[in-house]
Amino acid sequence: MSVDTTSLFFALLALACLLAVTAVAVGWLVWSVSGRLPALTSIREDLGRAAVPLAWLVALVATLGSLYFSEIADFVPCRLCWYQRICMYPLAVVLGIATFRRDRDVRVYVAPIAAIGAVIATYHTWIQAYPPTGGTSFCTLDAPCTERYVWEFGFVSLPLMALAGFLFIVTMMLLARTTGGARSVDVANALRAKEERELVNGRR
Amino acid sequence: MSNRPNRRASASARVAAAQAQSRGRTIWIIVGVAVVVALALVIAVAVTGSDDAVEGGGPSPSGGTVVPSGDLSQGTVDVTGESLPGLTRGASTDPAVGQTIPTVAGESFDGSAISIAPGGKPKVVMLLAHWCPHCQAEVPRIQQWLDANGMPSDVDLIAISTSASASRPNYPPGDWLRGEGWSVPTMVDDGEGTAIRAFGLTSYPFFVVVDDTGAVVFRTSGELSETQWEALVDAARTGIAPAGGGSGESSPAG
Repeated sequence: MSVDTTSLFFALLALACLLAVTAVAVGWLVWSVSGRLPALTSIREDLGRAAVPLAWLVALVATLGSLYFSEIADFVPCRLCWYQRICMYPLAVVLGIATFRRDRDVRVYVAPIAAIGAVIATYHTWIQAYPPTGGTSFCTLDAPCTERYVWEFGFVSLPLMALAGFLFIVTMMLLARTTGGARSVDVANALRAKEERELVNGRR
Repeated sequence: MSNRPNRRASASARVAAAQAQSRGRTIWIIVGVAVVVALALVIAVAVTGSDDAVEGGGPSPSGGTVVPSGDLSQGTVDVTGESLPGLTRGASTDPAVGQTIPTVAGESFDGSAISIAPGGKPKVVMLLAHWCPHCQAEVPRIQQWLDANGMPSDVDLIAISTSASASRPNYPPGDWLRGEGWSVPTMVDDGEGTAIRAFGLTSYPFFVVVDDTGAVVFRTSGELSETQWEALVDAARTGIAPAGGGSGESSPAG
């Protein structure tokens, strides 16, 4: 696969992430305005259950994509790229562990890191879309951060892809917050343990 | 009567049933993600697979010829005559105006000879870098104008691809320009930026307007709008620098 193909592939995935974030935002708006439509509540619970694995998938693809562009396509990461990488790479590991441990509390740790990454990515996206005439203090000659290594559809740059990933992860972490019904795993386990204890004790 | 079953056992059973049901409902999420990824892959392969091989040297809608195929990104450049001084951005006067351009002989992407020399028709020389976002925006704008208006018959247009580097975006320059259907004859600068120094480039894209005697009429850097581009071509015809003269944003050389 050529770099062109891969760039377009990742650009499309980034757009899908942005679309998903928008859909969740719109869904949330409708849900609050409509007085908590039951159908939306049920979708929200489904999403909440899948939130950590979905976020892990995105963090993993973003990490591999970033490594592809620097190690295989030989694009030199600029300083801002490195800061975003610092925010993304650990998430690929942390969210992976959380997925297997079914630990939705990981949101408390992941959301702030992803939010910091989103802020840096927003700035970087901005200066790639509208390069400042005088350059920026982040720009070095060997790897200027205003260089558009990828520029799909006239607006999708590498930092925009990172931004899409970070926003998606933040959104998933917000959805990972358990609602009443969604605590079922913990509740079920606690109930089962209690019943077993009582059976052992011979109390009915 | 057993229509009130053991309440405790049924509590866990009910939750287990709910869990099984919810596991079934997450299928739509898994299927959705798989469809999105597969669709992105199919579109990416289908779209980029088709235009991977842009043939150079063919006819262009502008009446000119698309830059030739060839993977040369640095060539040999010979300069005879005095190089132009560097253009200071924002300065009110350009010391190069009136000075005769040096003769710059080099090669195009396929190694064929191409040169820029004083005399003959008036000319517009443009210096581009494949990695510079303003050049990436300017090239299709000029090409669109050329396709609509045809290559000018009374003004020579010549481009120079400079500062090529495999570690910078949009490499190689030949692929980029062919992809844009670029029909302006293009020289390939060497690794030392000899052509850059010959024309006194300070930022990209860089334009040098030369009259029929070989004297510099006007130099500017930065993105040009269609109107500014037309004014530049007119300046070559008339030998009079465009009023105002300004241009848009540029990328610093480096």
